[in-house]
Amino acid sequence: MEDQEILTKFADPASRNLAFNQLVRKYQQRVYWHVRKMVVDHQDADDLTQDTFVKVWKHLENFRQDASLYTWIYRIATNECLNFLSAKRRKFFLPLNDVGAELLAKVEADPGVLSGDEVEQKLQKAILRLPDKQRLVFNLKYYEDMTYEQMADVTGTSVGALKASYHHAVKKIEQYVNNQSAND
Amino acid sequence: MNTPFRLDDHPRRLHSLAPPPAGYFEQLPRRVMDRVQPTPTEAPALSWLARLPLPLRTALASTLLLGGFAASLILSVTPTSASATLAAVPQEQLVQYLLANDARVTLADLADLPASAPTTAAAYLHASPEELQRALDAQPTDDSYL
Repeated sequence: MEDQEILTKFADPASRNLAFNQLVRKYQQRVYWHVRKMVVDHQDADDLTQDTFVKVWKHLENFRQDASLYTWIYRIATNECLNFLSAKRRKFFLPLNDVGAELLAKVEADPGVLSGDEVEQKLQKAILRLPDKQRLVFNLKYYEDMTYEQMADVTGTSVGALKASYHHAVKKIEQYVNNQSAND
Repeated sequence: MNTPFRLDDHPRRLHSLAPPPAGYFEQLPRRVMDRVQPTPTEAPALSWLARLPLPLRTALASTLLLGGFAASLILSVTPTSASATLAAVPQEQLVQYLLANDARVTLADLADLPASAPTTAAAYLHASPEELQRALDAQPTDDSYL
C-alpha cells in the first residue's frame, strides 16, 4: 500500500485500524533495525520500536506532509533513540562517550551479538565508538542510503553539517580498523 | 603488507547484529495495535463520567456517598414500636404467660384488668361479683392502694 493511500485510509475512522496495521507492517523492519543499530540490545530496540509506532498513531492525524511519511517516521524513531541514550547517560552519570563504551562492552560480553568476519566485527566496534549523533548520521547514510536532504529532514541538521559529520565518521572508522589490524 | 582498510571497498552488510527472535516481525503489528487501541475495560455506559471535570466528579461522588449513608440510616429504623409488637400477641397467650411464669404483676395491674378487659377477667377468674367484692374488701385499706 502506498503512503498516500495509507494516509487517506487512516483519515477515515472506518478504515483507520487497517491503514495503521499496513503502516506498521510496511515500516517495522526498517524502524527496528534503525533503532537496534543505535541501542544494540534487542529488548531496548523492541521497546523503542513500539514507542515509535505508538507516537506515530497519536500524531499521524496531524501529519502535514511537509516531509515524506518515511522520513517523518524515522525522525520519531531517531528522537526516541537519542532520548533513550541521553536518559541512560543521566541515569548512570556517564560522560558523553561512555554510552558507546557501554554498548561496546555489551557486544564484547556476548560474541553472538555480532556476526561477520573479523574485519566486519572491527567495523561494527568502530561504529559503536562514534558519538551518538555522529553514529546516527553514519547509519542513515551508510546503511539506510538516505540522501543528505532526507537526513536533514530526519535530524533537523543542515546538509553541510551532515556531510562534514559523515566524512569525519568515515575517517574515524577507517583509522580505528587500521589501528586494530596493526595491533593484531 | 596489509592494504589499509577503506570503507568504500568493504562489502556493506545491512545487519551485522544478531537477528531478533523468530516470529518477532509477525507479532509486532498485533502488539502495537494492542497498545494503541482503547482498553476494553472501560464501560461505555459510564464513559460520560470520565469526561466530567474533576470538581464535578468529586461533588458527584460526595453526594452519592452521603445519599447512601442517609438511605442506610432510614432503612435501618424499624417501623413498629414495642407497644405495637405487644398488641400483636394474642391476649390469651399473654394471660397464659403471666399465669405460668413468676412474672411480677402488681395489684394495680390486676385492678386495671377488669376495667380494660372485663371479658378476659371474667373468663379467667371465674368469680362472681360478690366473690370479687369480698376479695376486695379483705384487702387492707392502705392508702397506697387508693
